[in-house]
Amino acid sequence: MAILEIKHVSKFFGGLAANSDVSFEMSEGMIMGLIGPNGAGKTTLFNCITGYYPPSKGEVIFDGRRMNGLQPDAVCKLGMARTWQKVRPLAKMTVVDNVMVGALCRTNSLKKARELAMEQVRVVRLDHRADFLAGGLPIGERKKLEVARVLATQPKLLLLDEVMGGLNPAESEEIIRLILDIRKLGITQMVIEHDMKAIMRISDRIVVLNSGEKLAEGEPQEIVSNPDVIAAYLGSE
Amino acid sequence: MIPTNPLHSQRGASAVQVSLGMAVIAALFAFPQFVESPYVLHMMILFFLSTLMGQSWNIIGGYTGQYSVGHAAYFGTGAYSTMILLTTKEIAPWYGMWVGIAASVVLALIIGSICFRLRGPYFVLASIAVAEIVRGTALNLTDLTKGAEGILLTDMPAFKIGQTVITDFSSKVPYYYIALVLALMIIAVTWLVQNSKLGYYFQAIREDQDAAHSLGINLTFWKNSALVISAAFTSLAGSFYAIFVKFIDPSTVLPLDLSVQIVLISIIGGIGTIFGPVIGSLVLVPLSEALRSNAIAQGLINSGLVSEESGIGIFLKEHLAHAHVLIYGILVVVVILFMPDGVLGYFRKMTAKKKRGEA
Amino acid sequence: MTFSVLMQSIISGILVGGVYALIGIGLTIIFGVMRVINFAHGDIMMVGMYMTYFLFTLFGIDPFLSVLITMPLMFLFGALLQKVFINRILGTLPQNQILLTIGLGLIMSNTAMLAFTSDYKILTTSYSSSSFNIAGISISEPLLISFLITAAITVGLYWFLLKTDTGQAIRATAQDREAAQLMGINVKWMSILSFGIGSAMAGTAGALISPTYYIFPQVGSAFTLKAFVITVLGGMGSIVGATLGGIIIGLVESVAAVTISSDWKDVVVFSIFLLVLLVKPSGLMGKSRM
Repeated sequence: MAILEIKHVSKFFGGLAANSDVSFEMSEGMIMGLIGPNGAGKTTLFNCITGYYPPSKGEVIFDGRRMNGLQPDAVCKLGMARTWQKVRPLAKMTVVDNVMVGALCRTNSLKKARELAMEQVRVVRLDHRADFLAGGLPIGERKKLEVARVLATQPKLLLLDEVMGGLNPAESEEIIRLILDIRKLGITQMVIEHDMKAIMRISDRIVVLNSGEKLAEGEPQEIVSNPDVIAAYLGSE
Repeated sequence: MIPTNPLHSQRGASAVQVSLGMAVIAALFAFPQFVESPYVLHMMILFFLSTLMGQSWNIIGGYTGQYSVGHAAYFGTGAYSTMILLTTKEIAPWYGMWVGIAASVVLALIIGSICFRLRGPYFVLASIAVAEIVRGTALNLTDLTKGAEGILLTDMPAFKIGQTVITDFSSKVPYYYIALVLALMIIAVTWLVQNSKLGYYFQAIREDQDAAHSLGINLTFWKNSALVISAAFTSLAGSFYAIFVKFIDPSTVLPLDLSVQIVLISIIGGIGTIFGPVIGSLVLVPLSEALRSNAIAQGLINSGLVSEESGIGIFLKEHLAHAHVLIYGILVVVVILFMPDGVLGYFRKMTAKKKRGEA
Repeated sequence: MTFSVLMQSIISGILVGGVYALIGIGLTIIFGVMRVINFAHGDIMMVGMYMTYFLFTLFGIDPFLSVLITMPLMFLFGALLQKVFINRILGTLPQNQILLTIGLGLIMSNTAMLAFTSDYKILTTSYSSSSFNIAGISISEPLLISFLITAAITVGLYWFLLKTDTGQAIRATAQDREAAQLMGINVKWMSILSFGIGSAMAGTAGALISPTYYIFPQVGSAFTLKAFVITVLGGMGSIVGATLGGIIIGLVESVAAVTISSDWKDVVVFSIFLLVLLVKPSGLMGKSRM
C-alpha cells in the first residue's frame, strides 16, 4: 500500500508555477530520491507535502489521509517529519535538548523524552556532543543533529532536504550510512540530493523535477539513461 | 571548544545550591522581625514587585522570545479590576485580584490571537498598539475608571479568617510578606516551566519558529500559553501595586514607559534565566530609588565632588530626581552594546574565560 | 455637525498630515536602509522642537526660517547617533535594536527634562493663532505654512532619491544591502547618511509643529507611536507610502475628533493600525517582509 500519494499537486506564487501537476506514489519502507536542477521546485514540493504551504491544486495523501490544509505541527504528529536544507539548530539549546524537543512530540515526560533523545543521538553518533550547544556545532554535526531531531518525533515518513549539502566526502559517506540505517528501522524516506552518485546508491526509485514539473520517474538505472533527464541536466549546467 | 549550555547546569541544582536558597528564603521571611525601618521594608517590597513583573515578562519574552512591549496592559488591568471592585463594590482585593487575573487572561487571549500571527518587530509594534488602546480606553471610560483623575483607595479592609483579624494593613509588614510570597511564587513557576515540556517548547519557539513548528509544536497554542501565564502574574503585580500604593491612574499603571521598564528588568539581568529578573531588580530598584530620593545628588554634594552652593549642586538637587528614568536609558544602552546577554550572562562569560585561562 | 465643520476638519487633517508624513518618511528611510525600527524617532523630533524653541527665544529666529539651521544640525545629530550607537547593532536580533533605540530615546527625553525641566513650553509667534477664511472655512496660517514647507521638502527629497547618484545608492542599499555592497556602494556610509536624513526629517517636523504644539521632554513618545502607525500603514520602507500614511492619519485623527470625540482619537488610530497589521502587514505600498 502506498504510504504517500502525491496527486496532481500544483503550487503557484503569483502567476508563477513552482510546482505544476506533480504526481507520484511512495510505498512503505522505500527510499525515494527527488532530484532536479536548481529551481526545479523540490523544496517547494516538500513544503507543500509538510503543510508549510497549502498546495494550490491537487492532493497530498499520507497513510490514507488527506493532508491538505493541515499545519506542519499536525503533519508531524501524524508521522511525517522533514529536515531543512538550511539547517535550523535551536542554537542556545544543547544537542540533547534539541532532540528532546522532537521527542516531546510523543511524550509529556521529560525523563522519557531524554531517554528517547539519547537513543537518537546515539543513532546519529553524536553522543560525545550531547551536552554541547547546538549553535556551536560544525556543519557536519548540525546535519546529523537535524536528522536525530526528526527521528525523535518517531516518523513513519522522513523527508530529508539536502542533508549532504556542504559536507566533505567522508561526512557525506556517514550520512549515506545513516540513511541506510534508518531504512532498516522501517522508516520510509524521501531524499532531495544534488550528489548524483549518492542518490543513485541509496534510492529505490527516483523522481526528477524540472521547472516545477515531473520530468521522469523510475529506478536509478532508468533515470541515468533517460534522454530527457540528461538533456535537462546538461541544459542547466 | 564549544561552551555548554548555561541553563543546563541549573537543571539539577546541587545540594549546596538548594540549602543556600533555603537559607536566603528563611532570612527573607525573618527579615521584618529584625528590621523595622518602613523605608527599608518599602525598598524590599519594590524589589519583590520588580522581580514579579520582570519574571512574568521573562516567561513570554525571555523564554518564548516574544518581545511584548505592552505588558502595562495586564498590569493596569489587574490594578484597575482590583481597585474598582474595592472602591465601588467593597470587594476585598484578595477576591478582586482573581477578577483581574481573569480579565487579563481574556485580554491576553485576544491579544495573542491577533498579535501572534505577526513576527519580530511587527509583533513588538502590535503589542504596543494594544497597550495604547487599553490606556486610551481607561482614560476615557470615566464612569468606570475616573479617567485621568485616577482612583484613590481610602479604606483598606482588614484581612480576617473567621472573626480573627490577621492584619489590618496598617504597617508595611503585611505588604512585605505578600510581595515576598508573590516573588517566590513566580520564581517557582518559572522553575517549573523551565523543567517541563513547556520550557522546552517555549525555548524552541524562541530559537526558531519554523523548526519548532516542524517538530510538532503548535505555535499558536504554546505562544498563547506562555502569554497567559505571563499576563496572569503581571496582573497580580498590578493588583498588588494598587493596594500597596493606594492610588492608580492611567499614567502610572498603563503607560508605555511602564511596559518598557518591565522589559528592561529581564534584559538587564539576563533573559531566559531564572535569576535574570532577580539580578535586574537588584540593579534597577536601588539605582532608580537613589535617583528618585535625591540620594545621588546628595551623595555627590556630601563627597565634596559638587559644592552645594554651586550652580551644578543646586541644579542636580532640584532636577536629578525627576530624571530617574535616565538611568534606565543609560543602562539599556550599555547592556545592549556591551553585555547583550545581560549582567548574569556577562559575568558567566567572564568567569568562563577566567577558568579557561587558568586551565 | 455641519458640512463646513467636516470640511474644516478634513482640511486641517490634511495640513497636519503633511507634517506627520515628514516624520513617517524619516522613519521609513531609516527602516528601509538598515531594517532598524527607530524607537527614538519621536525623541529626535523633540530635540528639533527644543532647538527651534531656543533659536526663537534666544536669537529671535522665526521657527519656519530656523528650519534652515535645524535641518543640517539634526542631520549631523542623526549621523552621529548612527556612527556611535546604531552601527554596532546592525545585523543583531531585531529586539536588541529596538531596545537600544528605546534606551537612546529615554536618554534624550530625560536629558531634556534634566536640562529644561518638564514644564510645557509654548512658542508664541505673531501668527500662532492667526487664520484666514476661504468660503467660510477657516484655515490656520501656521499649519498652512508648515504644510507648504513640508511639501517642498518632500519634493526635494524625492528629487534627491530619484535623480542623484547618492540618492540612487541609498535606494539600492534599501532594496538589497548585499547586492549594493557587491556593486561597490559604500553601505556603511549610506546607513550614516540615511539615519542623518531620517533625523533631519524628524527634527524639521519638530520645528514645523513647534508654533502650534506644546514643547516638553516627553512629547516624543506619542509621535514615535504615530510614526509607526504611519509607516506601517504605508508599508515599511516605502516613502510614497509614508507620505500617504501621514496624510491619512492626519485626516483620521481630525475627522475622528469631530465625529466621535477628540478623547478617543488615539484609540481609533491604534485600532486602525492593528487592523492594517493584521489584514495587510505589508501596508498600502509595501511588499510583504513577513
